[in-house]
Amino acid sequence: MTSDNPPNNKQVHEDIEQLLARTPAIEDACSLDLLVFLYRHPRTLLTNEQLATFLGYEMKVVAKSIDTVIDLGLLERTQNPTHAARMYRLMLGSPTTGGLEALLELACSRHGRRDILEVLMSRRSSRPLDVIQSKRKLRVIA
Amino acid sequence: MPKPDLVKTGIAGLDNILHGGIPRGNVILVEGGIGVGKTTLGVEFVYRGASHFNEPGIIVLFEVSPHKLMRDAANLGWDLEGLEREGRLKIVFTTREVLRQELQQADSVLLEEAAKIGARRIFVDGVGRLVNGHGSGNGNGNGMPETRSSFHVLTEGLQRENLTAILAVEASATDGHMQGISMYEESIADTVMRLRVEEMQRAASRSIEIVKSRGQDFQMGRHTFRIIDGEGIRVYRRVQAPRVDRDRSADFDPDTRIPTGIPGLDELLNGGYYVGSTTVIAGISGVGKSVMALQYIMNGARHGERSLMFSLDEPVGQIERNARSLGMDLKGALDSGLVRVEYEPPQEIEVDVHFAHIEKLVEEFEPRRVVFDSLSTYGSTLGTKGRMFRDFFHALTALMKEHQIAAVYNHENPEMLGMASMMGEFAMSSLVDNIILMNWIEISDSFRLGLTVAKMRANPVDRVTRECEIASPVGLRVLPRVLPVPEKKAFSTYAGLLSRAPTRWVRKKDEGPVADSSG
Repeated sequence: MTSDNPPNNKQVHEDIEQLLARTPAIEDACSLDLLVFLYRHPRTLLTNEQLATFLGYEMKVVAKSIDTVIDLGLLERTQNPTHAARMYRLMLGSPTTGGLEALLELACSRHGRRDILEVLMSRRSSRPLDVIQSKRKLRVIA
Repeated sequence: MPKPDLVKTGIAGLDNILHGGIPRGNVILVEGGIGVGKTTLGVEFVYRGASHFNEPGIIVLFEVSPHKLMRDAANLGWDLEGLEREGRLKIVFTTREVLRQELQQADSVLLEEAAKIGARRIFVDGVGRLVNGHGSGNGNGNGMPETRSSFHVLTEGLQRENLTAILAVEASATDGHMQGISMYEESIADTVMRLRVEEMQRAASRSIEIVKSRGQDFQMGRHTFRIIDGEGIRVYRRVQAPRVDRDRSADFDPDTRIPTGIPGLDELLNGGYYVGSTTVIAGISGVGKSVMALQYIMNGARHGERSLMFSLDEPVGQIERNARSLGMDLKGALDSGLVRVEYEPPQEIEVDVHFAHIEKLVEEFEPRRVVFDSLSTYGSTLGTKGRMFRDFFHALTALMKEHQIAAVYNHENPEMLGMASMMGEFAMSSLVDNIILMNWIEISDSFRLGLTVAKMRANPVDRVTRECEIASPVGLRVLPRVLPVPEKKAFSTYAGLLSRAPTRWVRKKDEGPVADSSG
C-alpha cells in the first residue's frame, strides 16, 4: 500500500526555508493562504468579509496579512469609499518574485502547503521573542 | 441601407450561422445545462476578440478559478496568460452580489477595469443565480421582481459601456424548453443562444440554436458543435439549412456524360451518367455494387478525372485489397492524387459534422465523380423514419448538383431474390435521376447476376434485365443479351426474372412464347 504522504525529508524543508527567506510576505498560515488564493485568482473583486470567508480566517487576521503584502508591493488594492468591494491584484512576474511564485506553486498542493506550514511553525518556535517584538514595533512606527 | 456593425465571434462556423457576426453592443444570453460548453463559448468569444480582432475583453467568473480557466484554455490552444500580460485581457473573480452592486453604481470598479484596457467584449460566466435569485428560482423561471431588476441593471450597465456581452446562464433542457430561464430575461437580452446535449440512443452530441438576435438575420434550427482540443469550438451548420450562394445554375451543364467504364453498361446508359445526376445502384449485399463503384472511380482516374469515394462499410485498406483482387490498381490511383477514399465508421456519425466534412472535401478536391457506399448504412445510422436522413440526402444531392458531380449511391436492398420496391423504406426515388437494380436470379442450381436500368431521367431505357458477371481483371461486365455459349442460356430466353420464379421461353414458329419446364 502506498502512502498518501510523500516522505517529509530534510532537503524539502531546507529548500522551503531558502524560499521563505527570500519571501518576507509569508509569515504565517493566513498570509500563505491569502497569497495562494490570490495566485489562483490574480484579479479579484470582493468585499473584505467575502475575502475572509473564502480564506476561512477572521477578518482582522486577513486584514493584517493584506497590509503586509501591500506594504511589500506584491498586491494592489483599489480604495473607493463608496464601494464595499475592493479589486485586488497580485503583482507577480518580476525577477524579485520568483521565489514567491515557486512557493505558491508548491503550496497549491496539499503536501506542499503542509510542508511550508511546518517550516513556518518551526521558524516561529525557534525565533527569539525579542526579534518578533522588535519587528512588530518597527511596523507600528512605519 | 447602412451595414450593421457586426462583431465577429471568431468561433469557427458560428459567424456563418449568424451571417457575419453579432450586432455590436448586443447582450447575448447563452443558456444551457452543465457541461454543454457555455464557458468555452464565452471564453472563446473574448479570446478571439483579443487575439484576432484587436478587441480587448474581460472575463468575469464566480465559481471557476481563473487559474483553472487558464489551464483549460491552454488545452484548447488559447494563451490567456499571454493576453493578460499584454493588457488585452482581464480575468476578474468576484461574486454575484458584488457584481450586482457594482453595476448599480455609475463608477463601477469592474467597468473601470474594462475601460482601462479599452475592452469591447465581456463574458460573465454563470449569471443563472443572479437571474433566478440565489437559487430560489421557482422552476418555471418566472423569477422574482428583485432578480428581474438585477438582470435589467446588469444589461443596462453593459450597454452603457457599449460592451458586446455574453452572459452564460445555467438551465436544463426538457422537452425542447429551457427550465430555469424566464421569458423576461430572454426578452431583455438582444441575442439568445441555446446550447444542448442531444441524446442519440446511447451517444450524444452538442447543439447550438440561435433563438433570437436583434438587428440581424440568422440561420434558425439546431446546429451541431464540437469542442476540439487545440482548437476550440467548431459549429457545423445544420445540413438542411439553405446555403448562401448555392445557385450556380449558370454553370449547369445539360449535355456532358460521365462514362462508368463498366463494359456493356455505358451502352445501356446512352454513354454514361449526366454530370450533376444522382444514381442509385440497388441490390443485396455481395451483388457487385462496390465493385461497380470501384470501376467507376478507376475509370475516372484513367481519364484524368478526380474521383472521391465515401465508405461507411469498409475501411480504406480493405477496399484497396478488394480492388487488388479484381486486378485494379487502386493504390496507384490513390497515390496519383486522382482518387480519394474516405472511410468513416457509421456508429457515431454526427450528421452535421459528417456533411461539413463531405462539403469541405468536395470544395477542396473538386471531384468529377463521387461514390457513397452505402445509402442504406446512412439510413440505418440516421434512421429512415424521421427527417434527419431525408434532410441529409436532400442536402447531399443538392451539393453534388451544385458542383456538377455525377454521384453514385450504393443502396443495399434486403431482398435476396427479386425486389418488391426500388428503394424500400427510403422513399427518396423522386430525388434520384437514375436507378440501376442488381439482382440474384436463381436458375437451375446457381445464382446468376442480373442488372436492370430501371430509371434514367431524360433518357430512353429499355428496362431489359441483362446478365452480368464479375471477373478479374475486368470487374463487373454486362453480358450480351444473346450469349454464344450454348450450354449457358441467356436471360433473353427466360420470362419473369424479377418475379422469383423465372420460366424459360420456347418460341415456336408463328406462335407466342410457351413456358418450358426444362429450365
